[in-house]
Amino acid sequence: MRSKKGGLYILWEYKLPYLFLVPSVILLIFFLALPLISGIYMSFQKISLAGISEFVGFQNYRLLVGEERFRNNLLLSVLYVAGNVGLSVPLAYAAALLITGKLRGTQFFRAIFLTPFIVTPVVSAILFRSMVDPSFGPITTLLEMITGKRYIILADSTLAMLTIIGHSFWRSFSFVMLFLAAGIATIPTEIYEAAKVDGAGAWARFRSVTFPLTKMHLAIVLLIITMWTVQDAETVYALTGGGPGYSTEVTAVRLFKDAFINFNLSYGATIGVFLLMLSAVFMALYFNLMMRGGELSQ
Amino acid sequence: MRRVKLEKWVITLVIIVLVMGVALTSSLAQNPVTIKFAHFYDPMAGPGHIMNIEWLEKTVVAFEKENPGIKVEFEWAKWDEIDIRSIRDYAAGIPHDVMMSSPQLMPKHAIAGDYLDLTSYVAKWPKPRAEDINWTPVWGKLFPLGIPLGIHTRTTVYRRDFFERYGLDPERTPEDLESLIEYAQFLTRDTDGDGRTDIWGLGMYFGASRATIELYFAPYIWNFDGKLWDPETKKADFASEAGVKATRFVYDLVNTYKVTPEWATVGTYDEVGLINFLNGTYAMFTGFGSYWIGPLEDKGWVTGIFPPKPYGKATVADVFVAATKPQAQFTNAWGLSINKLSEHPDESFKFIDFIVTGERLIDYPDAGLPTLLSLWDKPELQTDFYQEWLKAAMHGKSMPYTAYYGELADTVAAALQEILIKKVPIEATLKKFEDEYNAKYAGE
Repeated sequence: MRSKKGGLYILWEYKLPYLFLVPSVILLIFFLALPLISGIYMSFQKISLAGISEFVGFQNYRLLVGEERFRNNLLLSVLYVAGNVGLSVPLAYAAALLITGKLRGTQFFRAIFLTPFIVTPVVSAILFRSMVDPSFGPITTLLEMITGKRYIILADSTLAMLTIIGHSFWRSFSFVMLFLAAGIATIPTEIYEAAKVDGAGAWARFRSVTFPLTKMHLAIVLLIITMWTVQDAETVYALTGGGPGYSTEVTAVRLFKDAFINFNLSYGATIGVFLLMLSAVFMALYFNLMMRGGELSQ
Repeated sequence: MRRVKLEKWVITLVIIVLVMGVALTSSLAQNPVTIKFAHFYDPMAGPGHIMNIEWLEKTVVAFEKENPGIKVEFEWAKWDEIDIRSIRDYAAGIPHDVMMSSPQLMPKHAIAGDYLDLTSYVAKWPKPRAEDINWTPVWGKLFPLGIPLGIHTRTTVYRRDFFERYGLDPERTPEDLESLIEYAQFLTRDTDGDGRTDIWGLGMYFGASRATIELYFAPYIWNFDGKLWDPETKKADFASEAGVKATRFVYDLVNTYKVTPEWATVGTYDEVGLINFLNGTYAMFTGFGSYWIGPLEDKGWVTGIFPPKPYGKATVADVFVAATKPQAQFTNAWGLSINKLSEHPDESFKFIDFIVTGERLIDYPDAGLPTLLSLWDKPELQTDFYQEWLKAAMHGKSMPYTAYYGELADTVAAALQEILIKKVPIEATLKKFEDEYNAKYAGE
């Protein structure tokens, strides 16, 4: 028999827990929902420097999509994410296994691996920039010793992008490692022992035990790192300013330049909407991974 | 008994409130007005900036001594972001007081409305004082939203000692682009025989900065009778035949003649320009600003030049005007403006008024050349060194008067970087960038 108690009754019955949620909801509305709606609204406007706005429909979208520079911005953002994630995840798994193992020196490695996490992003970007300085940078000198050729790293499109990816990997690696280590630590040792008894080697144990049982953690950390990377304007701007040319101008840097340097708010808002859509695509992919990971652990 | 006790409490409370009120009123009366001064001098940026900070601090102390009711606090923003910060903060309702401002962004300020019109303040100046400052070519670009602090122009700085060392007469300098290339090729040297260039014949800068369009593209497009932006059609025009020739010229310096380093596209204008010149990396460096005269004196490469003295002389480093047909380099000036949201506009103008005088500006490192006509009559500025700068200023030109000048500067810098580094076809690349700019901003 269907209960006659409706939603309002449930709301009243659990009024205290709902009341505790109200401040968070208010904050979400003011700092997430309202700015989001405002940004989307602005993307359909043409806003002059005097603050006068005029509704222009999809004109901003059309102009940006038709612009080769912007299409390149989007592509660079995808490459940036792929590069960072592609480097971080395998190496972070290896480091996580190392620090959760019973080897000597794990405390030492734990401290070393966590260092990048505590350095301010802009500071580390400037540090990286000095390391690739064309005259005195140690990386430039090392490359010259190996290849015999002096590279101007930040003046080369490919090397500049690799430097940005390398810097981002260096920063996010420790977070990924920590998260995965937390996941690995929850796996009961009996499962590993059983696998060993069955004759499974290290790779087989990773493939059949560690990876499946940490899929949920992997999905979450991928989501977080992807969001950070997609939205990263400060470190890219500090390292290369989006140059040489526009060859490292990821979407977030383009947004920063248009909205906050050139004060072109309508384009900035439109680029923001595109960035949101890009983030949503990545989110959909990872949610899919998480759902499959959740089924497996059940 | 209880009533008496109550009365006593009431009287005590009233006395306390009265005393507090008097104390508060008198403390408010004694509190000085604080005005904020937004500048861009960054001690990390090198000797030029440090000298300017020291001058600012000295000036503020003198102003506060003369005006005990006014305090000045510094604010800081990057030189190529200070104007935008004013516009952005105005839109957000964040007040500022005195701010440094650039003339090429005045069209943006005029539309945004973030600066106060200073006409009513300047109208109170005596006529001789007004005429002493409003003669300068930059006055019209800044006023009435700003008042110039000096005149900035650029020349080509060169090492007299390198000229002498390699058998060139330091009194004779290149006068056109062909001879500039010849000199640069002759002076480019590998001094230690390791196969790498140690002295570059002609330093330049092509980074992601406004300096690129202003100092390293505009002079050459002007040389070929072109322009960056057409005021009639209100469209970018840098992909014209003149623009292609100008680009080909700078491209050849880097890639064909190899007299300008490839790393000129990386780093900041100060790093690539001043610091490398002072380190002996260049025999000549073009786009050398009048804001860098002070560091030459500090290095001992000029004597009695900064502050200027009648016996001033260039000893190791000297300058010559742009070796182009119109001898034109970008000429502008930093100005002082008052933010429209300022709560103390009168005090702010008092500070500006205090600064823009002969005795203050004579040793202001970033002043460049005097904005005050009266200063030019002084024997200190009759030296060969300063006369060369005066020639440069008189031939100077400004940037296009468009509200989207910042976007134009970014576009040209990006185009040049792509051409210089990736070695892509010049004409097609310039056209592509010009079309992208015009698609968004033509007619504005």
